[in-house]
Amino acid sequence: MYTCCYLGGKPAAEPANSDYSDVPLEDKDLLEKFAQPESRNMAFNQLVRKYQEKVYWHIRKMVIDHDDADDLTQDVFLKVWKNLENFRQDAQLYTWIYRIATNECLSFLSSKKRKFFLPLHDITAELTEKVEASPDLAGDEVQLKLQKAILQLPDKQRLVFNMKYFEDLKYEEMSEILGTSVGALKASYHIAVKKIEEFLKRD
Amino acid sequence: MKNELKLSDIPKRNPYQVPDGYFDRLPARVMERTESAQEQAFWLESLWRPLRLAVAPLVLLLVFVAAFFYSVPDKPIINLAGVPDTAIVDYLSTYATLETADFAELHNLQEQELPSEMLNVSPKAAEEELEYYDLNHMEY
Repeated sequence: MYTCCYLGGKPAAEPANSDYSDVPLEDKDLLEKFAQPESRNMAFNQLVRKYQEKVYWHIRKMVIDHDDADDLTQDVFLKVWKNLENFRQDAQLYTWIYRIATNECLSFLSSKKRKFFLPLHDITAELTEKVEASPDLAGDEVQLKLQKAILQLPDKQRLVFNMKYFEDLKYEEMSEILGTSVGALKASYHIAVKKIEEFLKRD
Repeated sequence: MKNELKLSDIPKRNPYQVPDGYFDRLPARVMERTESAQEQAFWLESLWRPLRLAVAPLVLLLVFVAAFFYSVPDKPIINLAGVPDTAIVDYLSTYATLETADFAELHNLQEQELPSEMLNVSPKAAEEELEYYDLNHMEY
C-alpha cells in the first residue's frame, strides 16, 4: 500500500505518533538546541521531521525510484548532521538543506552515467521506463506524457522546472539554493516550459 | 489526445507515492544512522588518541635527528691560491711521503726553470749541496 503526498512549498505536516514534542521548533531554536549535547538528538529528530518530506520529494522527482530517493534522503540528513555545527546562519536552514539535497541528486545522476558508461539519452530512457512502470500513472495518459516530457530536460533544467512548477519556490529562494542568478533561472524555466509544451504537442 | 495541449491545462499533481508510514519511520532510521556515525567517530577518536601519543615522541626524535644532521658544519674549504708557497713547502717537507710517481713528475720538471722561491733554497746552499753529491756515480 502506498501513500501519495504533495507538499509544494508548504511546510510538512507533523506526524501524530512522534517520540518528541509535536510543536515544531523554529530553525533558530533547533540550531540552539542542536548545539547543546543533551538536546542534540531531540533537535535533530525534529529537524528531520520538519524537512523530510520536502527533501524526499525534491530528490524523488529527480531520481524517480523510491529506493534511490530513500537512500539519498538519508544521506542528505547524515550530511546535515555532520555539518550542522559549522552551518553559518547567514543562509536560511532550509535553503542550506535543499542545496545539500540538490548536490546529492546531481552527483547521484552523474555517477550513474559514469558507472554504466551511458550517454544522457540512455539515463533518460531508464528513468522513463520507471515512470511508465509506475502504477500511479496507469490510465492517466496526460500525466504520463507530462512526466516523460519533464524527463527529456537536462538535469539542471529539470531541477529548475521541478522547483518552480511542483515545489512552488520563489526565484530568489531557488537562486540562493542553486547559486544562479534570478534572470538565468527565469530564462531556464521559460525554456523548460517551451520544451515540455513542444513534447506534449507531439503525438 | 489533442495537439494543442498546454502545461496550464494539466492539473498539477504529484504522480509518485511512498510506502504507507514511510515518513513516520524515516526519522528513526536517520537517527540510527547518525548514532552509528557517532560510534564510528568515537572509535576513530579512541584509536587516534593513543596513536597520537605514540607518534608524538617519534616525530620529536626525527626532528632532533634532522636538526642535528643539518646543523653539522661543512669542512672548511681552503683556497690554495691564498696559501703562501712557503707554507705549502713547509707542510710538504714535514708530512709528504715521496713516491716513485713524484720522482717521475720531477723528471718532467727538469726542463723547466724553477724559481728560487719555489725551491726555498739559497744559491749558496744549493751549490754546497751539489758539490756534496757526486752526481755522475749515483745509481737509480
